[in-house]
Amino acid sequence: MQNIKTRYLSFYIISYYTGYIIVGTAFLMAIPLITSLLMGEWNPALDFVISMSVALIVGYLMMTLGRRTRKGEVQVDWKYGFIIAALSWIVLMFLSSIPYLLSGHSKSLLDGCFDVMSGFTTTGLVLTQDLDHLSTGLNMWRHILTFIGGQGMVVLALSFLGKHMGGAYKMYCGEGKDIKLVPNVKDTTRIIWKISMIYLLVGTVALWICGMFIGLKPLSALFHGLNMFESAWSTGGFAPNTQNMMYYHSFAYEIITMILFVLGSLNFGLHYAVWQGKKKELLKNIEIQSFVITSFALTAFVVLKLSQSGVYTDAVSAFRRVVYNVLSAHTTTGFGSVYAQQFAHEWGDFGILIMVIAMLIGGSACSTAGGFKGLRVGIVFKGIIADIKKILSPERNIRVEKYHHVKDYVLEDPTVKGAALIIVCYMVLFGITTLLGTFYGYPLAQSAFEAASVSGNVGLSIGVTSASMPAMMKVQYILAMYLGRLEFISVFALFGFVIGGVKKLCVKH
Amino acid sequence: MCKTLKPMMIAAVISLCFIISANAEETVSINSLVDDAETYDNQKVTVEGEAIGEVLERGDYAWVNINDGTNAIGIWMKTSDAEIIKYFGDYKHVGDTVRITGVFSRNCTEHGGDVDIHSVAIEIVKTGRAVQDEISDAKIVIAVVLLCTAALITLIYLKITKNKKQ
Ligand SMILES: [Zn+2]
Repeated sequence: MQNIKTRYLSFYIISYYTGYIIVGTAFLMAIPLITSLLMGEWNPALDFVISMSVALIVGYLMMTLGRRTRKGEVQVDWKYGFIIAALSWIVLMFLSSIPYLLSGHSKSLLDGCFDVMSGFTTTGLVLTQDLDHLSTGLNMWRHILTFIGGQGMVVLALSFLGKHMGGAYKMYCGEGKDIKLVPNVKDTTRIIWKISMIYLLVGTVALWICGMFIGLKPLSALFHGLNMFESAWSTGGFAPNTQNMMYYHSFAYEIITMILFVLGSLNFGLHYAVWQGKKKELLKNIEIQSFVITSFALTAFVVLKLSQSGVYTDAVSAFRRVVYNVLSAHTTTGFGSVYAQQFAHEWGDFGILIMVIAMLIGGSACSTAGGFKGLRVGIVFKGIIADIKKILSPERNIRVEKYHHVKDYVLEDPTVKGAALIIVCYMVLFGITTLLGTFYGYPLAQSAFEAASVSGNVGLSIGVTSASMPAMMKVQYILAMYLGRLEFISVFALFGFVIGGVKKLCVKH
Repeated sequence: MCKTLKPMMIAAVISLCFIISANAEETVSINSLVDDAETYDNQKVTVEGEAIGEVLERGDYAWVNINDGTNAIGIWMKTSDAEIIKYFGDYKHVGDTVRITGVFSRNCTEHGGDVDIHSVAIEIVKTGRAVQDEISDAKIVIAVVLLCTAALITLIYLKITKNKKQ
């Protein structure tokens, strides 16, 4: 009896907070709505009115259902953060795809959901048709999705609405970000938003000015600048036009976005430490070390290979076409400065494999990036070294291994195990996704490339992702993006909750 | 009279067919250019597509991106040539359809390895137009109904929670 009652209470909590987040997202739709109105795009404006209303209805209904939570009758437990995060993403995927569907640029509900999930998870793969004729409002919405996805939309909704911050940090962890910059949860989210907002301002202005220099009109340069900033900073990879980065034909634009996505892929903890004047952190941090080593090695390999095979012979081309794409893959951004087919035809199996590795490793933990994360790779690597040392040392003297991430941590077995476990999960996901690609007849190298791109939330495409690909693969890709972004744990918690609920019901009858 | 006219007409029709088919053969889709980049590299090609976005002026020359439905590519042309394009495709416009003859390169050394076409000749095949934003009445009705429902539910929620507090 007690159990059943607790389960109902859990239901209230989950319903209330998920509703809360949905309402927050509904208010967020006001931004593209206002943009559309200002630009005189009446149809998209109506699309957003409809979407916003539906989201408000769903959100407030869920909050009404769970209103007992508000009175503080129930304790919000740690595990709910995970479940709420996982559930909100699914509900929001459907609600946020309404503007896509109404615009007529998505061929089906599945395609719309695919694009929203791709945005939320900061992946950047696109199934939306005819991007070049998209309204300013919808383009804004696509990039906002990717921006708030990168910041952790759960935190956004909660800090946006102000009150009930109780469970916020728990939910924040549910989105795969486990840091606490300052003891207070509210202050942590504030700092993260402050950092992002300052970069938003600086980055957008930089891209705006650069945009006007490369020939964009002032107003469109502003929109391009804002959209491209949001995409770069959140390591997303969407761009307003079909050609992605190639639309701009500008080295300067590439350089600025590159700086932004590398910054975005760094840990918020690191940003904060550097802001506080701890410049040394830049050299000592395990993630920076890991990132520098892997990106240098991977870039060198591909540059060497492609210059050998005579594809890119001069330094500028090699930088703009190879270094840019490898870094874009490694930071899990997904801006492409070559065509998808070029990866397939020109980069060769070696180039593709290096890209797969770069995409799977990904950026830093607690950043906007995806992949295994540099922190985990660093920890597992140090763990292996420590084990070898243990075996080799003659007498059983216990040496304490340490790693530096904002502060010094002792390398403990559970830490190594936890990191290794997540890496294994990623590999299994990558394996299954690749397998499915080959099942549907795509070549192995291409299936692997696209699978790494979705599991690592990258967004580069070798040409597999298209509106005409099998529906099963779209579903699998959506699932891979979702699992990869939430780093498995949240989703497993949601599964566990649902299965547990079903079991209880079965036992009851 | 008739005897001479007939062959002439046939000849005219045949030559017309040739011109059309020759023209059709000449135009290559952008996607097949990219697919067979190695074959087309440094070759003179003709593409036809809609000018999109806006012209990106870089002094005497300018970039115009065109999309033919299969893919999009940047065209490097004289700024004076770009000026004849009136409409560029975006939400509110269908861009001019332009026919570009130029040299394709898959790794343009002048432009940092860009895949591009350096235009030699440009011709407007079809002028674009502004697109009317037509709104269906049904959509307006649905939007209004949903908006009212949303407002109602919001009010109900606020009322319930207010009562609970007391
Ligand atoms: Zn060129």
